[in-house]
Amino acid sequence: MASQSRKAAITSGNDDGILARVSQSTVVYHGKKAASNTAYVTKRLVKSTGKAAWILGTTFLILAVPFFIAYDRDQQITELELQNASLLGTPAPAGK
Amino acid sequence: MGSYAEILPQTTTPPKEIEKKEEKIDYMDLPCPIPYEEIHREALMSLKPDLFEGLRFDFIKGINQRFSLSHSVFMGPMEVPSQSAETIKIPTSHYEFGANFLDPKLMLVGRVMMDGRMNARLKCDLTENLALKANAQLTQEPHMSHGMVNFDYKGKDSRSQLQLGNGALVGASYIQSVTPHLSLGSEVFWAGQHRKSGIGFAARYNTDKMVATGQVASTGMVALSYVQKVSEKVSLASDFMYNYMSRDVTASFGYDCIFRQCRLRGKIDSNGCVASFLEERLNMGLNFILSAEIDHQKKDYKFGFGLSVGE
Repeated sequence: MASQSRKAAITSGNDDGILARVSQSTVVYHGKKAASNTAYVTKRLVKSTGKAAWILGTTFLILAVPFFIAYDRDQQITELELQNASLLGTPAPAGK
Repeated sequence: MGSYAEILPQTTTPPKEIEKKEEKIDYMDLPCPIPYEEIHREALMSLKPDLFEGLRFDFIKGINQRFSLSHSVFMGPMEVPSQSAETIKIPTSHYEFGANFLDPKLMLVGRVMMDGRMNARLKCDLTENLALKANAQLTQEPHMSHGMVNFDYKGKDSRSQLQLGNGALVGASYIQSVTPHLSLGSEVFWAGQHRKSGIGFAARYNTDKMVATGQVASTGMVALSYVQKVSEKVSLASDFMYNYMSRDVTASFGYDCIFRQCRLRGKIDSNGCVASFLEERLNMGLNFILSAEIDHQKKDYKFGFGLSVGE
């Protein structure tokens, strides 16, 4: 252990030091590049997914939600009329 | 509006009569087609609702069976045409006063706006087959007033129309039923003031479940539309518009649902525009209107609500 550290001290004396050499090595360079690319792509992906979700969500809100509410209410009125008709024994009023 | 009610029964009844006869088609007894300018009617009904932004209040008061007065108030932002890409809106408000006279043979409608604009319409049945329609628009600005007179002749299985307008506008159209379901039509027009003339052709195929129309004009316009009735309450519509001159293409798809207490129309088009329009019947003669339109591309959002009383 001691000899290793001495060696490191000597090499650092000669050159920029092991940390600098490691950080300048091609493996680290490629790793860094890949990491930053991934981060960039992920950021863009999240951003565009968010935008798509926003567009889809607002479109759904405008187009589909009113339809479901209206449809549901129409079903309820029909059911109510059927109930009334069966309770009172009279045909449901046609145009309500 | 009056013309719709008059034509609708004719277009809906003939297919049933023909079904009874089955294969044998009497080509001398074809149904009367609908007018040339209304061939896209069903598609327009569901794809082009009367969208607005802001508040709208309409009040119609019937004085007697034929005569009625209308008041309407509008408040909200109004788009100002500008060169830049973003839309500029300025808040406006206006009041409109109108008078209607409706009679089976004669229809008179007049509207006066607060800023001095006036709009008058007349529809008069001269004989059983010949009708006169006139439309006039008067404004304070010079060269913005319009006037137009139409003569409509309704034959047994055809319709023809002669159109005369100011600015030396002359137009004529003719539409003929070819088979019980198919009708073909053509139009010519000449605008003397702008030195322009054009010719157009249209075809319409309708059964009681679907309507398909196509129209081409020498102005470069191609319009196709298709409406399918899914059930009693729901109908789906789509249309395609192409302009050869300006090279713009639009396709849109919409639905139209008529429920017992409300009518809902929604559409989406290829320009990134989503819209829906809800007319809710709150009470007898009291309608609540909600209108929403989102333009994703321009980031233009329009929401409106309104009440209409009477009718």
